[in-house]
Amino acid sequence: MKQWDQGARLWARVFCAMIVTLFFVFPIYWLGAISFKTAEEIFAYPPVWIPANFNFHNYFVLFRDGEAWSIWNSFVTASISTLFAMFFGTIAAYSLVRYKTGGNHLGIWIISQRMIPPICVVFPVFLLFVAWDIVDTYTGLIVLYTAFNLPYVIWMMRGYIQEIPLELEQSALVDGLTRWAVLWKVVMPMAKSGLFATAVFTFIFAWNDFLFALILSRSDVVTFPVKVTGYFGAQSSLWSKVGALSMLGVLPMIFVVGTMQRFIVRGISMGAVKG
Amino acid sequence: MPNLKIDNVNKFYGDVHAVKDLSIDVPAGEFVVLVGPSGCGKSTLLRSIAGLEEISDGDIVLGDRSIANLAPRDRNIAMVFQSYALYPYLSVYENIAFGLRARKASDDEIKKQVDWASELLDIGDYLKRFPRELSGGQRQRVAIGRAIVRNADLFLFDEPLSNLDAKLRDGMREEIKRLHTKLGKTFVYVTHDQIEAMTLADRIVLLRDGVIEQIGAPLDLFERPKNIFVAGFLGSPPMNFMDVDVTEHGTSMALPDGQILSLAGTKISGKIKDGAYTWGVRSEHLSKITETKNTVRAVIDVLQPTGSRTYGTFFLGDCHVVSELEAHDVSKEGEILHLAVAIDRTSFFDPETGSAINS
Amino acid sequence: MITSNSFADKLDQERWFKYFLIAPAVFIILLIGLYPFVKLILVSFQNITMFDNELSYQGFIHYERLFDDDRLWESILHTIIFTAVALPIELILGFLLALLFLERIPYKQVFVGIILLPTVISPIVAGATWKLMFDQRFGPINQVIAWFAGHEVKLLWNIEPALVWPAIMVAEVWQWTPFMFLILLAALSNVDREQLEAAQIDGASWWMTFRKIVLPAIMPVMFIALLIRGLDLFRVFDVVWTMTKGGPGTMTETISIYAYHMAFREFDVSYSAAIAFLIILILTVIVVAALRRMEVSR
Repeated sequence: MKQWDQGARLWARVFCAMIVTLFFVFPIYWLGAISFKTAEEIFAYPPVWIPANFNFHNYFVLFRDGEAWSIWNSFVTASISTLFAMFFGTIAAYSLVRYKTGGNHLGIWIISQRMIPPICVVFPVFLLFVAWDIVDTYTGLIVLYTAFNLPYVIWMMRGYIQEIPLELEQSALVDGLTRWAVLWKVVMPMAKSGLFATAVFTFIFAWNDFLFALILSRSDVVTFPVKVTGYFGAQSSLWSKVGALSMLGVLPMIFVVGTMQRFIVRGISMGAVKG
Repeated sequence: MPNLKIDNVNKFYGDVHAVKDLSIDVPAGEFVVLVGPSGCGKSTLLRSIAGLEEISDGDIVLGDRSIANLAPRDRNIAMVFQSYALYPYLSVYENIAFGLRARKASDDEIKKQVDWASELLDIGDYLKRFPRELSGGQRQRVAIGRAIVRNADLFLFDEPLSNLDAKLRDGMREEIKRLHTKLGKTFVYVTHDQIEAMTLADRIVLLRDGVIEQIGAPLDLFERPKNIFVAGFLGSPPMNFMDVDVTEHGTSMALPDGQILSLAGTKISGKIKDGAYTWGVRSEHLSKITETKNTVRAVIDVLQPTGSRTYGTFFLGDCHVVSELEAHDVSKEGEILHLAVAIDRTSFFDPETGSAINS
Repeated sequence: MITSNSFADKLDQERWFKYFLIAPAVFIILLIGLYPFVKLILVSFQNITMFDNELSYQGFIHYERLFDDDRLWESILHTIIFTAVALPIELILGFLLALLFLERIPYKQVFVGIILLPTVISPIVAGATWKLMFDQRFGPINQVIAWFAGHEVKLLWNIEPALVWPAIMVAEVWQWTPFMFLILLAALSNVDREQLEAAQIDGASWWMTFRKIVLPAIMPVMFIALLIRGLDLFRVFDVVWTMTKGGPGTMTETISIYAYHMAFREFDVSYSAAIAFLIILILTVIVVAALRRMEVSR
């Protein structure tokens, strides 16, 4: 009796889990389905639930017209800014943790920078970038994403670095390393998984950004979210392009979740637990 | 090989005076143990020698050069840490080689040194493994191996055995001592465990509150403690202390419960002024005899057999006393024993200052 | 021993090294964080508009305008209502999900992986997706409702005033509930097992166990999660922008959308700076109050 009860409860849970999962995945499925549909299928009534075949025409159009370039723009700005933010953020976090630089205040000031809404700073930044003549350039977006992600990187890496035993570093100092070498040969390897998780998130933030890119790019370095919103016209929307380009923007995230789920879960929960 | 000279070293943490004007001379090749209760400044001193802490005042000299202002890497010192501080992402081989690589030794040289150390420490089979795959004792050996491969002038140990279980600790203690004999290098070793201090040291430096209480060979400290603190710190079970009254021109004394012991015939007889003293008696100074003359009458309160010996505790007035008896000297609690006291081996202290009375 | 005084040696001393490490980060944050902030305050006291470029001190004129701007206060009201509705829904759904996945479920990793997907995709894509989902004729939502209703429905999710907000809300909840879920799942898994077992042996009911042991244990984490999400919801821009651009009319205009509108459509720069300053002020008050409360409860 008891056994049956447990079995039934397990199945009930699995059933619930499937329903919930369906709710979360269906919209993405729908997006993907649209990207493979022909124009007739997209604008059929009642809607076509499953496209008749994998029709890559919508993607082909994006590449043919050079509009897929926006994905490359997103990739360049997101990845290079991630590298910069990780580098400067990690060494700064190390300084905060090991040498208590600036006491508590500096750390709090840095994290508080992240709470300022982008909409509030974007106009002055725009003016600044106009003055420097880096609007609509990779440089501009990279600088901005780096700055915007730095507080996050510092905050997260602070947590990871705190977990590294101090004696490891001291041992390396006695063994003959300079402080700089200790940072590279001991701290970085020890914080490897933290570095990785943080970098993944930093990349995601930059990859998904819309507001900064909307204002700081015009034609040369338009990123994919800006491009996607451009397809929604007042009257008719280019649904096929919305579907295809959005899917191109989602695919890396599906890949990230598929291969690095552990880091994502850890990154999200660490942010709150340590914050 | 250079000697180590610690010269009037002071260390402040803010207002806290952790090390107070401390001087020690360590001749080359000596095994010195810094021991004391937690917070006594022993670790601070050791870390100052390593260069992990800056000293506030004074000097540390190794051979003929002052190392007080050098970076740790320039001091040519090796150190074994309490947590072993093995790099989890490096193999045992690379862990041991770490210091040599930092000093840009050639691969051949590294291999030679690692092989030598791993053979000495019997860890040759684990070289390819990673620290997480090793037991506590094996990790300890790797940590020591990492220290000895470098031809350091001075070896520092920061409570290296405190993370091991009791059995392993005994074994490692012996090995460290053997290692010292083999290497012939200067060892400075910090521990809070008086047994480690006693068994390992050529000389013990007993610290309290940043000040040296006594410095000397282990048995010196054990048998001729300078004060109550030293007497109480060394030895297990700890020395029994009781308040006694010496009378009749130093030939007799009254115990806390009123029993009288004659001092006649002892070294101390007649050489000690009448008055109140703190008397220090180690448990092994009390032994059961059948006679009753000039003995301490004890009603056994609690018995703790350890197999080879049995600890019998009893009270003299309010004073709790532990005696170390033969295994079968006493069979049950409540028995009345007559204990002879090896008075010549006991110590008398001034109850005011705690200093030992030299007779 | 001669101590050399080369740059490298100096750098290796603790007191220089720590500043050397933190200097670039502080410099960048100052440049892109503090500079705009100062600039914002300056501009808000000048008068820069599409037609005017008056750089002299104008006093509080723009701050005074804030009080008479009905559209501004409406957008703030929208934002507050939006936050106040979406936040508890995300919390409760996330919590229920976490409870579900706290138990043993086969292929849990796969389920969790799929569920967290919405959180990592671009809000723009999320908005676009739901815009397609809610399309009155070609979207699946109306179709599903039609199945249940038994006849054709044509709910105008993007236009009908009563339906626009729920549609945006669904998109937002869909995207961010997984975030709550993951945090709460981590917090719930960290609840001390022995305490739960002790409660079981003491005969505590499920409700009592939850209130006396589970809730206090996850409280700090839950609080931070609410704070993070609350701040995000308050500055919501992307999803609304894609789905409605604040429309129809100003129906769904949030504070961020309005600020954007004033700065980049009307080029009422000084006034939009005053709005930005107001937003920062509101957020600072919220954060400080929240952190105070958290410290009190700890």
